[in-house]
Amino acid sequence: MEVKLGLKVTGRCAVTFKTVSGTFFYEMEQDIKRFLTSLQPEFDLAYRAVTDSYGYMWIVFEGKRIEDLLAALTATGDMVEEKGFSDQLLAAVFEFANERQGGHQYLIYNYRRNNFYPFVPTGQKTRDTEQEMIMMSAIGEEMPFEKDMTLWYPLWDLPLKSPG
Amino acid sequence: MYTKKAPWQKRDNGLTARIIVSFAILTILYLVFLSVLAYVGLGAIPIAVIAGIMILAQWYFSDKIVLWSTGAKIVSREQFPELHDLVERIVARNNLPKPRIAVINTKMPNAFATGKTPKSSIVTVTTGLMDQLETEELEGVIAHELSHIKNRDVLVLTLASLFSTIAWYLMQSSLYGGMYGGYGRRRDGGGGMLLVLLVAIITWFVSFLMIRAISRYREFVADRDGALMTGKPSKLASALLKISGTMKRIPTQDLRQMEGMNAFFIIPALSGSSFANLFSTHPPVDQRVKKLLEMEAAMS
Repeated sequence: MEVKLGLKVTGRCAVTFKTVSGTFFYEMEQDIKRFLTSLQPEFDLAYRAVTDSYGYMWIVFEGKRIEDLLAALTATGDMVEEKGFSDQLLAAVFEFANERQGGHQYLIYNYRRNNFYPFVPTGQKTRDTEQEMIMMSAIGEEMPFEKDMTLWYPLWDLPLKSPG
Repeated sequence: MYTKKAPWQKRDNGLTARIIVSFAILTILYLVFLSVLAYVGLGAIPIAVIAGIMILAQWYFSDKIVLWSTGAKIVSREQFPELHDLVERIVARNNLPKPRIAVINTKMPNAFATGKTPKSSIVTVTTGLMDQLETEELEGVIAHELSHIKNRDVLVLTLASLFSTIAWYLMQSSLYGGMYGGYGRRRDGGGGMLLVLLVAIITWFVSFLMIRAISRYREFVADRDGALMTGKPSKLASALLKISGTMKRIPTQDLRQMEGMNAFFIIPALSGSSFANLFSTHPPVDQRVKKLLEMEAAMS
């Protein structure tokens, strides 16, 4: 798809889950951070944790090797599930750069629906549906895709780019 | 008589319905007329000749009937210069004769093409279509309609309908043959007649489904050819989504606000089941969009 659409992986991806107050959640948070820090000598990646205005925690990964990124992201998701917070898991987001038109495009994995859908924000609250559909048609065969477009919920102001 | 129609029938049944009703009334009128002729004792051959003339006449006047029943008005270059320019751009690039252009004043976005030959054809668009679509999307829609003209889809479907009509008449006449013909075998004539009636119904039903299948196939072809004319399949795709109302249903509310996420557990409405597909003249929008976007991906 990278070749077909002129999209390139930026090396940034993230997983997000709703924060809850309580020791169990705090412990999990610490566990995840310890785990990810322990990965760093071997894996070529950086991570940071951000909490957004909706009360969702984002673990944002940045690295050069896609396999490392995916492994870390999957492992983080698994840890959240193992600690009994699977209901809090919302989504994983993968960032792409459009080399032809500029701008960033995203692939969102919805944990509830177990499938992917495209998201191409163009402004504060606007999206490029045409690009999204082009993405879907290019990847649709290779991954479980959300066919119901009414469930393509956007994630505005993704905290993937700038720290903080 | 069949006419070429709106590619997004689902949304706007009104226009299509008016065309169908007009032709249905005409068909009934001439069936009544032929029955009267048969009743006054005219032979089979004169009736066939008269029927043939009437079918030809309806064919000949089909454009006028369509324009009249939809309220479409042929518009000059002075009235709609931009629309004329847009059509001219496409026909010039693809070496096609320029059709006449008609406009219907309604908010409903729609377009259709009519015409017996490519030269005498008319492309009709509604004012709603021009308002809702961007120039490139409108180009996509008009190229789709021009493909119908180029591919002579009106003729194809008229012939297909004609065959089903002829099949129906043949069955009917053998039915009457069974009624008046078999003097010596009155006893089992009833069963025979029922069988003929059954065969007639099946014949008609199968040809009905076939016409619809052909029509759906022609739509895909017109999508493809239209997209090739403009070189922008994704513009036609987004036009289709806008017209069908799908575009409006893509959410703008944030995923994080879908708190309880009940939204994800609602049983999805049975969208375009295959049963409904069998009867419709147009393929579902999502299938058409999918094919167009596959084309886009292959082209880029």
